[in-house]
Amino acid sequence: MQWHDPDKNPREEEEMTVKIRFFARFRELLGTDIVTEVAPGTMFTHLITTTARKNPEGYAAIFDDKGTFHEFVILMKNGKRIEIADAAETPVADGDEIAVFPPVAGG
Amino acid sequence: MIAIQTADVDIGALITAAKKHGTGAVVVFDGVVRDDEITEMELEAYEEVAVKELEKIAKEATEQFKLLHVDIIHRIGRLTVGENILIIVVSAGHREEAYAGSRFIIEAIKAGVPIWKKELTKDGGRWVPGDHAHGCGKSR
Repeated sequence: MQWHDPDKNPREEEEMTVKIRFFARFRELLGTDIVTEVAPGTMFTHLITTTARKNPEGYAAIFDDKGTFHEFVILMKNGKRIEIADAAETPVADGDEIAVFPPVAGG
Repeated sequence: MIAIQTADVDIGALITAAKKHGTGAVVVFDGVVRDDEITEMELEAYEEVAVKELEKIAKEATEQFKLLHVDIIHRIGRLTVGENILIIVVSAGHREEAYAGSRFIIEAIKAGVPIWKKELTKDGGRWVPGDHAHGCGKSR
């Protein structure tokens, strides 16, 4: 996903690539290891919203009617937990690994 | 030995290896696939993160309960009824520490290690629900 400024040569824009990993039910609905290009300044929530919209059932599994993450959804950036409240203002950077998954059930 | 793997392990060999100098008790936890009218169980992990979490849990348990040895092996992939899912072997000088350390480890795994289970049945499958009160890595 990219936003091109019509007055700017697209080649001058800095391209960034991130990897999105969904797990368990989210993986079944949306796939995983999704490598996507993002524009500089893209936020965590925006990235996942855009990606999840490709499958309505997948979107509904992760987001509520207001477009907010369900409270049980767990978010990580490069293996570190991101709180839902912070995700909308957490930028993603080139090479980041973003993970989204339901509550864990191991053991 | 801390591992997430598809292969089973030789629990007897782990017990032998756990008997370090000063050991007075070895406790083994073996979580197995229960026959809840399922055909198989499919396990999935966020492996890189899960292994780090298991290592943290083992370190915390070792420090808190004076454990002499800790093994945690969590299996992934497809498992049938009766197969081992999770093996925890701990040794300590006394039974109190060994039991408490083992219990600490299993509860910490259930609360915060990114692993998921899907029960496969004749009619399809169902993901085992996690506890919404807990979040992976939140408190660690």
